[in-house]
Amino acid sequence: MSGEKRNGGRAGVGVVGGGPWGVALALAATRTGADVTLYTRRDHPEGDKGVRITTDLAEVAKQRLLVVAVPSSVAREVLRALGDHLDGTHLVVHGVRGLSGESLETVSDLMREETPARRLGALGGPVQANELTEGRPSAMVCGSRFPEVTAAVIAAFQSHWLRVDKTPDLRGLEWASALVGCLSIGVGFASQAGAGPGLLAALISRGVDEAARITAAAGADERTMLGLGGYGDLLASIALEDRPEVVVGKALARGLSLEQAQSEARLRVEAIQLIPRIAEFAKARKVHVPTIDALQRVLAGRPAADVLGRLFAAEK
Amino acid sequence: MRADAPIFGFNSAREGIVREVVGRISSSTPDALLTLNDAAYHEIKRLEASKGKKARAELAEWQKLARTVGRMSDAERRGRLRELAEHYGWDVAGNFDGRVYDLSTRLLPPLVTALLAPRKLLSLARHPRKLVSLEALGDKVLVEGPLEQLREMVKTGTAVYVPTHQSNMDSIVFGYALERAGLPPATYGAGKNLFTNPVLSFFMHNLGAYRVDRRLRHSLYKEVLKTYSTVLLERGYHSLFFPGGTRARSGGVERRLKLGLVGTAFEAYARTVAAGRERRIFFVPATINYLITLEAETLIADYLSEAGKGRFIIEDDESSRLGRVAAFSRKLLDMNGAVEIRFGAPIDPFGNRVDEQCRSFDRRGREIDPATYVEDGEGKVVLDGVRDTQYTRDLGEAICQSYLSNTVAMSTHVVAAACFARLRQATPGGDLFSVLRQRDTVVVPRDELARDVSRLKEQVLDMEKRGEIVAGDWLRHASGGDVVERAVRAFAGTHSTPVLVQRRGGICISDPNLLFYYQNRLAAHGLAWDTLAPPGAPVELSRLAGTHGGAQGAPPHATPDPGGAR
Repeated sequence: MSGEKRNGGRAGVGVVGGGPWGVALALAATRTGADVTLYTRRDHPEGDKGVRITTDLAEVAKQRLLVVAVPSSVAREVLRALGDHLDGTHLVVHGVRGLSGESLETVSDLMREETPARRLGALGGPVQANELTEGRPSAMVCGSRFPEVTAAVIAAFQSHWLRVDKTPDLRGLEWASALVGCLSIGVGFASQAGAGPGLLAALISRGVDEAARITAAAGADERTMLGLGGYGDLLASIALEDRPEVVVGKALARGLSLEQAQSEARLRVEAIQLIPRIAEFAKARKVHVPTIDALQRVLAGRPAADVLGRLFAAEK
Repeated sequence: MRADAPIFGFNSAREGIVREVVGRISSSTPDALLTLNDAAYHEIKRLEASKGKKARAELAEWQKLARTVGRMSDAERRGRLRELAEHYGWDVAGNFDGRVYDLSTRLLPPLVTALLAPRKLLSLARHPRKLVSLEALGDKVLVEGPLEQLREMVKTGTAVYVPTHQSNMDSIVFGYALERAGLPPATYGAGKNLFTNPVLSFFMHNLGAYRVDRRLRHSLYKEVLKTYSTVLLERGYHSLFFPGGTRARSGGVERRLKLGLVGTAFEAYARTVAAGRERRIFFVPATINYLITLEAETLIADYLSEAGKGRFIIEDDESSRLGRVAAFSRKLLDMNGAVEIRFGAPIDPFGNRVDEQCRSFDRRGREIDPATYVEDGEGKVVLDGVRDTQYTRDLGEAICQSYLSNTVAMSTHVVAAACFARLRQATPGGDLFSVLRQRDTVVVPRDELARDVSRLKEQVLDMEKRGEIVAGDWLRHASGGDVVERAVRAFAGTHSTPVLVQRRGGICISDPNLLFYYQNRLAAHGLAWDTLAPPGAPVELSRLAGTHGGAQGAPPHATPDPGGAR
């Protein structure tokens, strides 16, 4: 494969995943004039908009830059299948929010396990799928320790309306993205429970500070959580009424059960499984995480007054 | 085997190698003025602090350069750069003498044996055929790992050995292990200070070691070293690096590596592919495990003292005193299985598993062409230092992982861990330095210690089943009491102070510093108190508790240098 000529000098990108996020990324890349292939198992009208649709992983792997945008629950399986078509020349990034398994593996860890690709990266930050689809200005972050990966992502996605920031802290970005999902539940919960702007601000600030310390304990740079890929991402996600994590938080505050809250969100909310595992991770490393502990009580169906009261009043 | 290993032709190739190094440095240095200024700055700073006629003459030379370099033409600067590169190139380049090699590999074991166990030599003399056999050390030094695979691989590929580093004896012991394993010798960089060590220089001269002068801090010298290593690897010289950078002061298994020379493998491989040659480079992580470590006292003292933070080279330690080396080695050879060298599974530079034909396979077992990692989308080889830095970092993690799973837990480590845990219990709320002050205060009844040791041993065996550590041969089969016995015997008379002393009430814990050193070997595995953990590993909060005052005037610092290496 390495001997093949690829897309005559134009930036090329292959997107794996036909959900809203994958389609949005594919469309965003067409706007920079990139040659875009989208791997999907569903029917899509985007074929008309300059995106080449394929159901063949070998076809999408002809692009050197690949973006994996599938739900975290199927990431391993998709990567394993994709791995059959990759070699060491590929640049592979993912836009998957979540950490997998008991040991909280990042998706880039999975990529190392399931594919031969080594030049890896991740996408994160506040950009929303509909902003990409509609072409409204926004910003995202590319995390990779390989400058050529970042350069390829910027070439494929950055335009005058989409800013692509970069960080070498891949691991930090992945952890930050996952932690933002957890904190969003808490913010949805608190706002539904009647928290005013002051209390919300306190919750967010403390939550972000905690998340930064957790990120550091995971061997990454705590500042990554404080930047666009952490704080920035969180501010965007809580501004959205239909953000699944926020929906779950609000539903729980209304006294719905976890199952009911999940079905209200419609999309799978990874953070629900993640919160107890992160709490355990923090405990093993002696990181003090009252907000994450409070989130566990939220998931356990404790009333709002109890949760917020404990979180903010217990410490003197 | 001999014909395959290029090191046997080193002396005739040496001039070409140095010329190649000088050529590359000259053409790849973008700004001669900057490089010369940097060298002058560092050298003047170093030489101003040193005494002696030679140093003063050198200093004057560098000061002159610093004064005049600004006015030189670019051609003159390039000329000076070339001269310096050539000077350093020859200084670094070692020597390899096949006769000395033969002599030392055949005679080294009996020689060492003579030094260490004169009575054994007598029996060897009576059976002269044994004199040329390495079997004399057979049961003392164990060499384990995928040896057959490695023997096959060195026929077509270039090996880079990356063992753990604890002692100045390592390079000798490792060289011996290669010979024992039927593997060709490897070239390696050894600190120039070691060449002045009367015991070691004899063994190292003429065995392909190249000299690394760690006093030289400027970029030109570092570039010469790296380029030298790159050229050797390109030419297929099997190489040995200690990626810990220096002996692990703490006694712990390295968790942070210095990867400068390791990184040269990537450029070497890319250049090999670009030249259209099919010779692969593979890495062999290895652990060198000692029941007792020669320099333990100096190393741990250095680790614990604040001064240790700035001290890179210990000129005068146990390894430079012949008497100590002899006494120590006698001790070592008195005990079977006292040294174990364990080769880990070989990997390609990109962390992939390799087979005996040097073919690479990813973790799902797909064969993968390693050349693709240095190629761009069009199949063209790209030399890219920044990319290689990232590959190097990933490789470093793989090497550390291999260190953990190939660490051999020995009696002294396990007993030290058990004793140190006892000391901790006896020091309520104790931070590290309070625990270390407990000299001669804690006596543990023998049977209790044996029970603790037994429990730890079971833990080791459980972890071994999961591939997370290796139980030393002896440890595996012995009872707790026997393990304690063996450790006490190993410690006795080895170091200048007693470590464990037999009293009527049991075993008195006499030297916490040394026990700390030996228990650290198991710290990263969670089997002993881990005060060395780098960020990202689970930590125990208690180590952060008040650390005021310190043993032997050691200043309080809660987070000593991770891995002890710098």
